[in-house]
Amino acid sequence: MSVISDLDAVAQPPNTTRSEARKWANPQVLIWAVVLFLCLTPFILIFAVSFGHKVEGAGWVWGFSFANYQRVFVGAEWPDQVTWLYLQRLYYSLYYAVIAAVLAVVTAFPFTYLMTGLSRRAQSAWLVFLLSSLSLSEVFIVMGWDVLLSNRSGLPMVFKETGLTDWLKAVGWFDVLREWGLANPRNVKFKTSVLATVLTMSYLVWPYAVILLYPPLSRLDRSMVEAAHTMGAGPWTVMRTVVLPAMRLPLVGTILLLFVFLLGVYVAVTVFAEPAKQTMSVSVYGAVRGNTLNAPFGAAQAIVLLVTAAIFLVLGQWMNRRTAS
Amino acid sequence: MNGLSLTGIYKDFGSVRAVENVHLDFAQGELTALLGPSGCGKTTLLRMIAGLELPSGGAIRLNDDDITALPAHKRRFGMVFQNFALFPHLSVRENIVYSLVISGTAKADAMETGERLLDLVQLKGYGDRRISALSGGQRQRVAIARALAQEPDVFLLDEPMSALDAKLREDMQVELRLLQQRLGITTIVVTHDQREAMTMADKIVVMSQGKVEQVGSPQDIYHRPENAFVADFIGRANFFDGVVENGQLRIADTVLNTTPAPAFLNGSGVRIACRPELPCLDREDVEGSRLNATVTFVRDLGPARDIHLKTAIGPMIVEYAQGEDQQQYRVGQETVVTLPAEGLHVFPEEKAVL
Repeated sequence: MSVISDLDAVAQPPNTTRSEARKWANPQVLIWAVVLFLCLTPFILIFAVSFGHKVEGAGWVWGFSFANYQRVFVGAEWPDQVTWLYLQRLYYSLYYAVIAAVLAVVTAFPFTYLMTGLSRRAQSAWLVFLLSSLSLSEVFIVMGWDVLLSNRSGLPMVFKETGLTDWLKAVGWFDVLREWGLANPRNVKFKTSVLATVLTMSYLVWPYAVILLYPPLSRLDRSMVEAAHTMGAGPWTVMRTVVLPAMRLPLVGTILLLFVFLLGVYVAVTVFAEPAKQTMSVSVYGAVRGNTLNAPFGAAQAIVLLVTAAIFLVLGQWMNRRTAS
Repeated sequence: MNGLSLTGIYKDFGSVRAVENVHLDFAQGELTALLGPSGCGKTTLLRMIAGLELPSGGAIRLNDDDITALPAHKRRFGMVFQNFALFPHLSVRENIVYSLVISGTAKADAMETGERLLDLVQLKGYGDRRISALSGGQRQRVAIARALAQEPDVFLLDEPMSALDAKLREDMQVELRLLQQRLGITTIVVTHDQREAMTMADKIVVMSQGKVEQVGSPQDIYHRPENAFVADFIGRANFFDGVVENGQLRIADTVLNTTPAPAFLNGSGVRIACRPELPCLDREDVEGSRLNATVTFVRDLGPARDIHLKTAIGPMIVEYAQGEDQQQYRVGQETVVTLPAEGLHVFPEEKAVL
């Protein structure tokens, strides 16, 4: 081959098809494509299914109708009759998730703060313990709480046997507990109640709260705390005026993350919440796999739950930025 | 006594004794520098004074009141931390008036004090800025103003200049000293920088391995070091090992005279220190022990020159201020060095172990 023919070959425009092929063969592009496919496909499918409709006595068929969304927001009989059943379930989803997330963070924060003041070895031991507790499934944890709160073998029995129930009756607090739905005529009862539901949900995410708060708390400049002490601030003032403001972002972030996680809790709500106070995730499961077998309606509820979570996340971030500025 | 006093203070961390039997008095309005190498216990001592560490033993008294177990937030001691420890979520003004706000001072009074302190540390107009928008020097000023806001009985500074660059550090040393003199607050500064200590302090406490090695004015510490550690740590010194013989010092075959005569038994091993600016070269008019020497190196430092010499008693550095002696020394040149008798500091041999 002559030099001139070599130069001709170099001067030729690149083969577009081959360069396109090379672009697609790029490992980074491939990885992104796979990740996007795996993340988006289930969501797109559920979104598409939510517009379908159930065939009585059979499965469901694809379609494009807002009937499922209508049923979620105003009921199936609208406009003749309006029912808020599913919005009520959405309300309980938010109610339990907000309270349990806040409770978990409020209790995990002081624990984590104290933990970061321990020796490295003690901190490691606690973290290993907490990480290992994450391996417990929701079912296992709920089973444990179920036993703990059950009327015959759990805390109510302890209350009765130790005379605490009689003492509560004597001081008049028993009636208050009854008003709150935490007692029957004979003894205290925790199942089924909002308290039991929230406590169990909070317990479920508590290790996550510690693990999420641990890095920012361990990075917190302790000399700021000491500086506040030297300026006359007692421990509570330091917590209120220095530690909490410095930890505002991680705290809000942790609450939001736990809140989103708790929106999807199923087993704890099924076991501990009254039927009238069940959440949307229970309803979604009921529609998809339960008695009704109405996948499109379940998908519509799931989409509403997802959008609600997204709205809360955006609101939380917006409020955080607004406070910071 | 009026002021702060430490009696027999010590601190153990597990099996390690970080501070050993410290007895110190800090007079009202005096600036004292705790000076020593890293890990000598000076910061631990300061933290015990601040109430951030509880002493393992001993007593801390302020105007005769025992405050040893009093928590930090009840002491009214202002403290500037090494990293300044400013609150990033508060503005400059809010940082400064923090102590006033939490103590319930009326807002108008707190703001007025804030403005006065901003003016005092030359940061007028910076009150609304975020801490992140300040330079290192400005942050240090905010930290100082913040510590002064509560009108502290004692002002503590833990390596306050270490985060600043060399030029700014020099300026701030002078500024801080002037401010302290104007306010007349009892002040304790921890530093490992002897120049900083000499610039600012009325009194220097030299520490090593948890112990106080010497307490004195900057001039005392420099010109009359009580042991080899102080002679070595403060400024520069030539060191020689020798023995005492009939009121004189013998190093190898050379005999040196000192004034006063060394108070050691005959045959005692001693360490001798001599500041490099004290020996003279080729001066017949100066009294002292004369030694033949050979120039091994000449180091020009701008305002001064270091002449490195080889002598019979060992290597030695002689510092000459430029212009003081116009004679130029070259490597290999023979010369005579005179060690003035009053410029030799003699220490027992065991103190020589650094």
